[in-house]
Amino acid sequence: MTKSFDKIAGIVFLLISILFISESLKISGSAYGSTIGPKTYPLILGIVLGLLSLRLLYETFKSKSESKEKSTLEIKKFAIIFISAILYIFLLEIIGYVLSTFIFLVVTFQVMERGKIISTIIISAIFAIGVYAMYVQLLGGALPKFSLF
Amino acid sequence: MSTIQYLFDGFAVALQWHNLLFAFIGVVIGTAVGVLPGIGPMSGVALLIPVTATLTSGMPTDAAAASSIILLAGVYYGAMYGGSTTSILLNTPGESSSVVTALDGYQMAQKGRAGAALSIAAIGSFVAGIIALLGLVLLAKPLSNLALEFGPAEYFSLMLLGLCAVSGLAGKSMTKALMMTVFGLMLGTIGIDAVSGIARFTYDIPVLYGGLEFLTIAVGLFALGEVFKTILERDSGDAPIAKINRILPTKQDLKDSAKPITRGSLLGFFIGVLPGAGATLASFFSYMTEKKISKNPDSFGKGNIAGVAGPESANNAASGGAMIPLLTLGIPGSGTTAILMGALIMYNVQPGPLLFDDHPEIAWGLIASMFIGNLVLLILNMPLVRVFAKIIQTPKKYLLPIIITISFFGVYAVQYTTFDLYLLLACGVLGYLLSKNDYPVAPIVLALVLGPMIENNMRRALTISNGDWSIFVTSPLSLVFLIIAAAWIIVPLILKFTGKKVIVNEEE
Repeated sequence: MTKSFDKIAGIVFLLISILFISESLKISGSAYGSTIGPKTYPLILGIVLGLLSLRLLYETFKSKSESKEKSTLEIKKFAIIFISAILYIFLLEIIGYVLSTFIFLVVTFQVMERGKIISTIIISAIFAIGVYAMYVQLLGGALPKFSLF
Repeated sequence: MSTIQYLFDGFAVALQWHNLLFAFIGVVIGTAVGVLPGIGPMSGVALLIPVTATLTSGMPTDAAAASSIILLAGVYYGAMYGGSTTSILLNTPGESSSVVTALDGYQMAQKGRAGAALSIAAIGSFVAGIIALLGLVLLAKPLSNLALEFGPAEYFSLMLLGLCAVSGLAGKSMTKALMMTVFGLMLGTIGIDAVSGIARFTYDIPVLYGGLEFLTIAVGLFALGEVFKTILERDSGDAPIAKINRILPTKQDLKDSAKPITRGSLLGFFIGVLPGAGATLASFFSYMTEKKISKNPDSFGKGNIAGVAGPESANNAASGGAMIPLLTLGIPGSGTTAILMGALIMYNVQPGPLLFDDHPEIAWGLIASMFIGNLVLLILNMPLVRVFAKIIQTPKKYLLPIIITISFFGVYAVQYTTFDLYLLLACGVLGYLLSKNDYPVAPIVLALVLGPMIENNMRRALTISNGDWSIFVTSPLSLVFLIIAAAWIIVPLILKFTGKKVIVNEEE
C-alpha cells in the first residue's frame, strides 16, 4: 500500500512542481528596483519540490517491496458520510444551518451505528439548535437562516 | 521597567475575571481534548480558534487577542495533561507525547494504583509547568532583545532553520517530510503577493486572492484527517477501563518521584525550546534517562512510578518551552505553536521580539495566565480525575459526526464561504492519506504559516543587497543559523548511514 502510494505521490508531486515552475515563469517579473520579483521564490520552491519528488521516486524504486498488509477499510461507511458531508455543504446556504446540521447528524449517527433512533434525533436536534442559539442569539454571530424561499 | 514589573502587569491582565474564565475554560476543554482519542492538541486548538474569535468579538483588538490566546494556550497545555489519563487508564495514549506514560502507567493501574499514577502525573505536570514558565520569564526579555538586532537576512535563515529542524525530525522518511514542508510553502504563495501586489496562482478565482486560510487547512489535515481515519479503520473494540481507588499518592510515591519530576522538567524545557524537538521527544528522553539512572532498571515497564513522573513532567515542560521561540522570535517550533501563531496573526498581532514592546499585555498576560492555568489544572484534576475518565467512554458514533459538524461550523463562522468547507473536506482526505503513508502533515501547517514571512524576509534581504545572494552567508549570525539548519538535515542522514537508530518526533 505504502509503496504504490509513494510511486503515485512521487509522480503527482513531480507534476505539481512542473506545473508550479511553468506557472511561476508566467508571473510578470520585477515591478520596480529590485531584481528579485514575485516569481523568484515560487520558482525556487518548484525546483526544490521537483528534486525531492525525483529523490522519493528513486528511493521507492530502489527499496525492496514490503510485505503487503491487508487491512479492511470501511469504505462504504466512509463514502456515505463523505457524500452526506458534501450534500451538507451544498444545502447549508439553501435550507439553513439548523435543518442541514440536523439532517447531517441524524444520517451520520445512523450510519455509524444503526438503531436508537429516538436518542439520535434528540441529540441531533439539541446540537443543531443549541449551536445556532448560542452562536447567533447569544454571541451575535451569523449563520445561514432557515428559509425555503 | 523590570521583568518583575512586567510580570505583575501580566498578572493584572490574567486576573481580570473574564481572562480567569477563559483560562479555566481553556484548560478544561484542553483536558477533555487530551482525554478524547481522535482529537489531539493541534486539532483542539485549531477547532477553538473560531469559537474564541466570536467570544472576544466585542472587545478591543489587543484585549481580544490576549483573552483568546490565553484560552488557546490553556487548551494546549491542558491537552498535554489530559493525554496521560487515557494512557494510564486504557493503555491508549490520547496523544503521542503520552505514549511512554502508558508503559508504566498502565501497569500501575493494573496493580490498582491508577489513582497514584494519575495524581503523580498531575503533580509532575504542575511542577514542570511552573519550571518552564520561570524559564520563559527569565529568557523572554534577553532573547527578544537579541532578536531585535536581527535583519531580514538573519530572520530568513532562522526561519529556514525552524523548518529544517521540524522536517529533520518529523516522521520516518526525511524526503517525505521535506516534500511536505515545500508543499506547505507553495500553498502559502497562493494569493496576492504582499510586496508587489501581483496575484499569483489565483486563476481569477476571487476566493483565492486572499490566499488559502491556514485555519481551514489545519482543521482539515488534523481534525478531519483523524476523524476519517477512525471511521475507516474500525477499532478492535473498547478496552475495559481500570478502576480508580485511591487518588492521593502515598508519601513514598512522592519521595520516589520528586527527582524524576525535577529532571524531567529541566530536560523537557530545554528540548522544548529547540525548534522541531517537541513534547514527544522530551518524554522519550526523560524515560530513557530515568531508566538509566535508576538502581533497578528492570522495574521499568512493570509499574515504576518514576516512569510516569519523569515523562509526564517532561512533556509539559516541553510545551512551556516551545512557547519561548514563538513569543520571543516569532518562530513556532511545532505544529501546535504554529497554530497558536496563526491565531495571533488573525488578530493582527505579530509574535516576535516586538511583541514584548508593542503588546506587553498580551505577552505577559499569557505568561501570567499560564501560571494560573497550571494551578487550575492541578486543583481541577485531582478531584475530577473520575469525571474525565468518564469522557473516554463517549461513544464514537456520537463523537465523530459531532467533530465533523464542529469543524464545519468553526471554519464557516470565520470564513463565511462554502468554498472553504469543500477545501476542508479535501484537506481531510488528503490529511488521512498522507499521514497513513508516513507523510507528516505538521510541516505543511508550519510552512503555510511561515511561508509568507520567509518570502518577505528573503526579498527584503535581497533588496538590501541589490540581489546579491551572498548576504545570507556574509552576515555571521545568518551563516550560523544556516549551518545549524544544514546540520539538522545532514546529521540524521549520517547517523542513518552509520546504522544508528534515530528517534523521530511523531506528530503532536
